[in-house]
Amino acid sequence: MTSVATAPPAAAPPTPEPPRAKRRFTGSVGFLAVPIAVWLVFFFIVPFGLILWYSFGEKPSLYVTHSNDVLSLARYVEALDPAFLTTFWRTTQIAITGTALCVLIGFPMAYWMAVKLSPRARGLVVALVLVPYWTNFLVRTIGWQITLSPEGFLSDFLNGIGLLNGPLQVLYTQQAVQLGVVYNYLPLMILPLYVALERMDHKLLEASRDLGGNWWSSFWRVTIPLALPGILAGMLLVFVPLMGDYITPSVLGGASGSMVGQMVAGQFQRAQNWALGSAMAIVLMLAILLVVIAFGVLFRLIGIALRRFRHLGDLDTTGAIR
Amino acid sequence: MTATAERTTAAPPRTEEPRARRRPPAVGDALLGIWGIVGLLFLFFPVLVIVAYSFNTGRQLQSWQGFGLDSYANAFNNPTIVATIQVSLAAAAGSAVVSTILGSFAGVALARRGGRWTGWLVALLGLAMVTPEIVNAVSLLPWFVTLGADWGLSIFNLGQVRLVIAHSLFACAVVTFIVRARMAGLNESLEEAAADLGAPPIQRFWTITFPLMRPAVISGALLSFTLSLDNTVLSSFVSVAGSTPWPVYVFASLRSTLRPEIAAMSTVMLLLTLVALALVAIVLSRASKKTGDGSSLAQTLAGG
Repeated sequence: MTSVATAPPAAAPPTPEPPRAKRRFTGSVGFLAVPIAVWLVFFFIVPFGLILWYSFGEKPSLYVTHSNDVLSLARYVEALDPAFLTTFWRTTQIAITGTALCVLIGFPMAYWMAVKLSPRARGLVVALVLVPYWTNFLVRTIGWQITLSPEGFLSDFLNGIGLLNGPLQVLYTQQAVQLGVVYNYLPLMILPLYVALERMDHKLLEASRDLGGNWWSSFWRVTIPLALPGILAGMLLVFVPLMGDYITPSVLGGASGSMVGQMVAGQFQRAQNWALGSAMAIVLMLAILLVVIAFGVLFRLIGIALRRFRHLGDLDTTGAIR
Repeated sequence: MTATAERTTAAPPRTEEPRARRRPPAVGDALLGIWGIVGLLFLFFPVLVIVAYSFNTGRQLQSWQGFGLDSYANAFNNPTIVATIQVSLAAAAGSAVVSTILGSFAGVALARRGGRWTGWLVALLGLAMVTPEIVNAVSLLPWFVTLGADWGLSIFNLGQVRLVIAHSLFACAVVTFIVRARMAGLNESLEEAAADLGAPPIQRFWTITFPLMRPAVISGALLSFTLSLDNTVLSSFVSVAGSTPWPVYVFASLRSTLRPEIAAMSTVMLLLTLVALALVAIVLSRASKKTGDGSSLAQTLAGG
């Protein structure tokens, strides 16, 4: 009787208390996000707003970088001239080809690392992938410049074994830039792919084989759908900085392999036309956002298609994936 | 007799395993392995070229003259090069401190409290990460000029301050995501227990929360340090005369002549980075031994 009487009051308080304690604790950490928000608004959003404002202005005279006395869209018209569009088109080509090549080269590498290697070797190989990445980006690109130069050792070697007659004519072309960007951004593709594939439950692959799927169907119906978030992240990580790259084409591109980043930089550094440079930067930013959104929509559609395909197929792994 | 009995019991799994393994073709595995190793060689190739050419005794980096250590001596005796390295290291340290503090706080806040603002903050951080550097660079330059010259805030005229701010923008977002990934995987009950036992918030943070998030904080700090050392685009826009960082010096000498000193100093920096990485790997492996969860350097860097 007493135990029944005392038990409910003793048991009742703890039930409402944990949520309150939780709220008390978590409520006190929200403010920790304020400094970073202030920092990014002040040094990222506001500066971006500033060049957006400049892009509607003009360069009034030789010695003044910008003026917003007269507002117009004239700088955008000026920015979209044939020379800019040619470079822009070349940049987009290099970026799309580069992203595709990074997927094609990076996926088998990431698959090998995540699936075929033992867990111990995996850590070592991930470290090996990262080591070159921690050498200065610019210095690594200079390594390619040395390699590809007409008087370089590769040219001598290729001449020596008879594969080439005369100096190597690759440096300062679009191909050199293409090679450079694939090289420079490959680790950014490998790592997210590796993370996605490493998290994959290998039992799913075994199950798919036990259920009669061959290598090909297991790959398309199990591996690819599971790796899709990693592929998307990798493509984003490669494509976006590649579109704005300014170092690789400066080192390897010369005049025939120049990219948009160099044109934007030139307006700010050499021509001192901040209004036009701002307009070009905004155009670049908008183009990147458009492509990223298009990628996102495309991948969502692919994801839906794959899911439907899996439902229709004899091999139903959706339950396990979810 | 017992041997045959053992053999019969051991036989079924042994015959089954090869059959399961035979399905993915062995040739495919070998090709994958070759592909992976060639890929690694590709990633290392220009680094090896730079290291090899750092021993070039010629006056120009690209044209090989002979083997020698002259370039190392010249690099360390060149006051301009030494000064740029000092600028770079100071900026990297500053950026690492700023990004780690801002990012760790934000990471904890994001992992521990949901709300409408988290979506906005994640979008802001994501935007900071996907904006091409060149756009960041050309927008920061006029902003620093506005702050420093037009508004008279002379602190923004200092090259070091500009470098730290510019480098921290991307890095603080990276640290936030690393710390958030780490914290999201940890149970809140430890902190709640400490709170129930009457620990004040600050003590709770230092005795419970911080030790748990330490691996993420260390790798975040290391990443922001190396990201800053690596940064060329932002630096070449915001740096002012007298505080030229190392990559900007290299970039400028690209237009005149590349000397072997550049390769020599890059090799030294690579060695230093490797030593730092090894130290962090040791710290992290000790931490994981202590807490009993696997958080290798690679794992932490790959996102917790």
